[in-house]
Amino acid sequence: MSIPDFVTRLPNDIGGLDAGPFQRVEHPLEPWEKRCHALADVLDLRKVINTEEKRKGVEALGEGLIAKLPYYERWIVTFANIAFTKHFFTPTELADKMTEVEARFTGELA
Amino acid sequence: MIPETSPSDHDHDHDHAHDDHAPVVEGRPGYYDMMETAVRELFIEKGLITAGDIRRQIEVLDSRSPALGAAVVAKAWTDAAFRSRLLENGRRACEELGISFYDDTDLIVLENTETVHNLIVCTLCSCYPRPVLGLPPDWYKLKPYRSRAVVEPRKVLAEFGTVIPEDVEIRVSDSTATVRFLVLPCRPEGTDGWSEDRLASLVTRDAMIGVIPVTLPQEASR
Repeated sequence: MSIPDFVTRLPNDIGGLDAGPFQRVEHPLEPWEKRCHALADVLDLRKVINTEEKRKGVEALGEGLIAKLPYYERWIVTFANIAFTKHFFTPTELADKMTEVEARFTGELA
Repeated sequence: MIPETSPSDHDHDHDHAHDDHAPVVEGRPGYYDMMETAVRELFIEKGLITAGDIRRQIEVLDSRSPALGAAVVAKAWTDAAFRSRLLENGRRACEELGISFYDDTDLIVLENTETVHNLIVCTLCSCYPRPVLGLPPDWYKLKPYRSRAVVEPRKVLAEFGTVIPEDVEIRVSDSTATVRFLVLPCRPEGTDGWSEDRLASLVTRDAMIGVIPVTLPQEASR
């Protein structure tokens, strides 16, 4: 990306840019990806986080993270970020919940 | 901010996208899988959404596929009055057929003719007429299609094996969070007198995105 492009285009604004060869890839959604999609729809329906807020939130992850995270991974990280900024829950609450969720599986395996 | 509990299997530094090796550990969900559970449960605990909302929406997602769009196209091919209503207001005409719009979007139906070929894209992300087609294929969400479809549509179409004559105009429509598009493909020759169901069986997802035409089975295998 040239320097003028870099300052005038946000990471999602890629229409018309050079891109590599087109690959006709598809995969069936993983169960958690489908849940993540349903979560996105419900957050929009319930007026908690709308589609455009989500898109901007993905953009706010920055080009580096966008390039590294696959699609639904970007969404779930974005929902967490928006939840923090809109004070739906705190980073500590999420960290505690992650530990709790993880423990369910560690417990199962122990 | 991303929680500090960084995924141990993902802290390596490299440039490629991770689509090709999402971590699968037998018996234990991946980091983002657990994060989805954690985030969802917090939204539920805070009373912003309910578990029933999620369950119902998963059922809605499972009920959507290109078969719905194909039925809409076949109806438009056989019922001129419906076709006019569909081109006038896509969402209302689909709702008439019992297809509900669970997202807050409008639907604009773009008719292919002998002189115009339509193609849909979402350059900014992955907006797609999900109520009538289900979820988009991965390639629709990836950079090459999104960036190139708007500047070199003929070349992109050729990569799908679709060659549009030079005298046919190509119109590319770029979707947004609230405005979605659906292509109404040309009805193939040799289908006079066919029933709606038989016609619908010819209409594919890719034809309604506009990357291929609708063809008779023997033409496709030629």
